[in-house]
Amino acid sequence: MNDLTCDIGYKSINHAGEQLCGDHVEVVEQEDGSMVIVLADGLGSGVKASILSTLTSKIISTMLAAGLSIEECVETIAATLPVCSVRGVAYSTFTIIRLIQSRTAELIQYDNPQVIVLRNGENWEYPRTEKTIGGKRIFHSIIRLQEEDVFIAMSDGCPHAGIGTAYNFGWKREDIITFMEAMNLCGYTAKTLSTQLVDECNRLYGGEPGDDATACVVRVRKRVPMNMLFGPPSNRDDGDRMMSLFFAKEGKHIICGGTTSSIAARWLNRPLRASLDFTGDIPPIAYLDGVDLVTEGVITVNRVVEYARDYIGENTLYEAWSSGRDGASMISRLLFEEATDINFYVGKAINPAHQNPDLPINFSIKMNLVQELSEALRKMGKRIKVSYF
Amino acid sequence: MKVTVCIGSSCHIKGSRPVVEKLQELVARENLSDKIELGGTFCMGKCQQGVCVTVDGEFFSVSPETVSAFFEKEIKARV
Repeated sequence: MNDLTCDIGYKSINHAGEQLCGDHVEVVEQEDGSMVIVLADGLGSGVKASILSTLTSKIISTMLAAGLSIEECVETIAATLPVCSVRGVAYSTFTIIRLIQSRTAELIQYDNPQVIVLRNGENWEYPRTEKTIGGKRIFHSIIRLQEEDVFIAMSDGCPHAGIGTAYNFGWKREDIITFMEAMNLCGYTAKTLSTQLVDECNRLYGGEPGDDATACVVRVRKRVPMNMLFGPPSNRDDGDRMMSLFFAKEGKHIICGGTTSSIAARWLNRPLRASLDFTGDIPPIAYLDGVDLVTEGVITVNRVVEYARDYIGENTLYEAWSSGRDGASMISRLLFEEATDINFYVGKAINPAHQNPDLPINFSIKMNLVQELSEALRKMGKRIKVSYF
Repeated sequence: MKVTVCIGSSCHIKGSRPVVEKLQELVARENLSDKIELGGTFCMGKCQQGVCVTVDGEFFSVSPETVSAFFEKEIKARV
């Protein structure tokens, strides 16, 4: 194993007036840690397009993940897809990005806009070879991955954005590249990059997209471990064991919870200084030498879970947490943007003050928060380990 | 004089934010910022009696409604 990993994120917007998206992205992880990503764009829009693209991406990703060749996949699709009664063809374009152990990327492109690759922050015209499989013209590339490589796959709804309104010929590839080069400088995650691309398309369409538009972004990055401590141990005697395990881990350290941080302060023998800066409705953070971030517990983490839930879905709140100065935004940036491998150290002590029915927090909520947060982070493609004390 | 307000979960829900803001406002209005040091702390272990405030180590239970009276009686009078 090398120390590279791939951050994958995608977002779609629907053709104005349609409830279903005619584009579909499928991500399948193989047992050896390789990933197959398929972005398919079905002919037309609405239900028909949605069925075509879903079938195409599911069939390709499943077959490739099972080790079958691309030729077999294409033949299977041609033989399986239902034929459109209006146009007399069964048709879905697709882009396949196959990431082999975060070392090599294989691109297989059929009729979608050409995948943009940013290397060292600049557009790179990678080599492509043309193949004909089952009468379809397919471009094939093998790319050895480097840190900070960014792959941007799109459906044709992106370059078509703004045709006739903002631009005569739509949003040109060169202009999309310039836009994404600038966005990439900000260090956004794959999900946020894809969101910004699609949001910009939506803006160019004047809020009424003339086609389904999808962007899928893959960022190659170094693994970054992170550790988060949440809650005091259920047995007081386990405090030292919990602290020594937590602080022995490499990477940044986050502590959530008042009592928990007091225990850590005692263990480190350093003063815990709480600030009184209220920003928004999240309790202030505190400072402790040797810990990267100290926050209040349940209220802060509850907000982080809200951000995480939104992030894996519509990603409409990223502006709040990507610039916010409160504890929840700071945790979100560390966990969503910076970390790739997160160790949770969760204490199961019951805070008697929280068992008051007047308060909106209690023990089971706390445990649910951890579960929901780790589930959401897993969906973001991160490796999560949870230890209970 | 050191005045410390708990900003832990329980006290936060019971209104530590308005208490802190009111105290900051009163300290500024009475020109006492060079005599009174306002600080925050996490849980004092007396969550049932929140919002927990200590004045030079002495414990008080304050709420957003009683904070003005508390300031007059326990802080201003002692300076």
